[in-house]
Amino acid sequence: MNAATATTATPLDEGRPPRGLERFDIGHPDYVAAIDPETAFWALLRHDAWDDVLADGGLERDWRAKRHAFAREMDMLRFHLKPSAVYFNPTERCNLDCTYCYIPRAMRRTGEHMDAARLMEAMERLDAYFGRTVPEGRRPQVIFHGAEPLLNRDAMFAAIDAYGARFRFGVQTNATLLDEAAVAFLTERGCGIGLSLDAPVADVADRSRKRWNGSGVFGSTLKAMERLRGYPGFNVICTMNRENLGQLTAMVEFLHDREVPACMLNVVRCTQPGGRQSWAEDAAVARAYLAALDRSHELFRQTGRKLVVANFANILIAILAPTARRLMCDISPCGGGRSFFALAPDGSLYPCSEFIGLPAFAGGNLFTDHIEDVLASPAFATVTGRRVEDIAACAACPVRHFCGAPCPAEAHEANGGMDRTGAYCAFYKEQARYAFRLIADGVADDFLWDGWDAGTEVTFDWEA
Amino acid sequence: MTRTEDVTRTPETRSPETRHRPAVIARRRTCDAEGTGLSHYVLMDRQVTR
Repeated sequence: MNAATATTATPLDEGRPPRGLERFDIGHPDYVAAIDPETAFWALLRHDAWDDVLADGGLERDWRAKRHAFAREMDMLRFHLKPSAVYFNPTERCNLDCTYCYIPRAMRRTGEHMDAARLMEAMERLDAYFGRTVPEGRRPQVIFHGAEPLLNRDAMFAAIDAYGARFRFGVQTNATLLDEAAVAFLTERGCGIGLSLDAPVADVADRSRKRWNGSGVFGSTLKAMERLRGYPGFNVICTMNRENLGQLTAMVEFLHDREVPACMLNVVRCTQPGGRQSWAEDAAVARAYLAALDRSHELFRQTGRKLVVANFANILIAILAPTARRLMCDISPCGGGRSFFALAPDGSLYPCSEFIGLPAFAGGNLFTDHIEDVLASPAFATVTGRRVEDIAACAACPVRHFCGAPCPAEAHEANGGMDRTGAYCAFYKEQARYAFRLIADGVADDFLWDGWDAGTEVTFDWEA
Repeated sequence: MTRTEDVTRTPETRSPETRHRPAVIARRRTCDAEGTGLSHYVLMDRQVTR
């Protein structure tokens, strides 16, 4: 299927916008967006004032005066970053067999651990590299990821203790091995801890996340959540798939009730066959997801406590302050191989964890190659060179820099190439519309973590 | 794996307070770009302690 027709601007039914701006219907009763797709500049215009505002020319004059600076800002964000994070897989193995995992099944079942000495050598090499590239005073990040990293717990914890002053650490885990001792170790050291859970009830959650013998892990995840209650560096990832869309609003209530500070509601990626089998069409995903966001807002208004849906918060921030975004999936080129890279247990380096399992995208090996050379390798360049301008469906899309056409691994494996969109084009457009509606209604901050704009400065502020 | 239709449009009926709302809302902020997150992990913004 071709998504080109889904990404054109709304046909003009009022005055034509100035050259360089495109009209984008946000589904709001009072406002419509005018967007400069090249620079991610936007303005919301009241429907009944559209003609007068454009005829006045003041907004256009001020936008054009800043346009070059906005273009430079986007160029820096898109093409001139250096990596400052590693997604570090200390083992190929996992004790679960989740239906949609992007790591091949055989690798998860019988793969190898990185041994303790090798893991420490990897840290030493990463430390040397980041010492050359990350500015003084800023600590790079290592996120232990999987497969299930806690299967190689002793080696991983030794690295955290040895390099705690040099890196910020995080762990993404299925929580089955997150016992009292592990929680104490990680929380005492300020490590970020991410868990995975797909529904607030066992019979749905266990359909996608289960052990090799088929039994679910809902109960053990709940125990870990109780151990982590009140820890500010704790979060939960929920993978939206065809099994759990009806549970998303209840999931938000469940997480909020357990004082989870942040979560992600991620679409299941279609990189591997299992993911493709779990795919849900994006109109259904959008309906369930936006209802869950609505509920998160109601809960905030009722209790004064936020459950930040981090992937949506990032779309909002991409609109409000493009360079302040944290998640680098929704920008083109994505952050894979640019702002972070992934390390496999055999030392292979990939642009992103999503590519582990696709050997053609290994750009080299940490133990035998220079990281700088790996970053410049053809395998990495295939990903870091993927631009929305070169994707037919995105080239005319007003929100292309609030979306980024994720994910390159998915586009390549499921849709046939890097010049294709990912699997959820209409879903990303709906997220942008929803975000603009929140801005129009003056409630965007309710969806963002407190202090998100610390360290930012205003470069455009036009309200009339 | 791609879809073409738009979804969940809000009906365009003008709200009663339309004329009391600003005619234009346009804002932008900037900072150094330090994003390193991917959808497999929620990045912390700052170091935390229990």
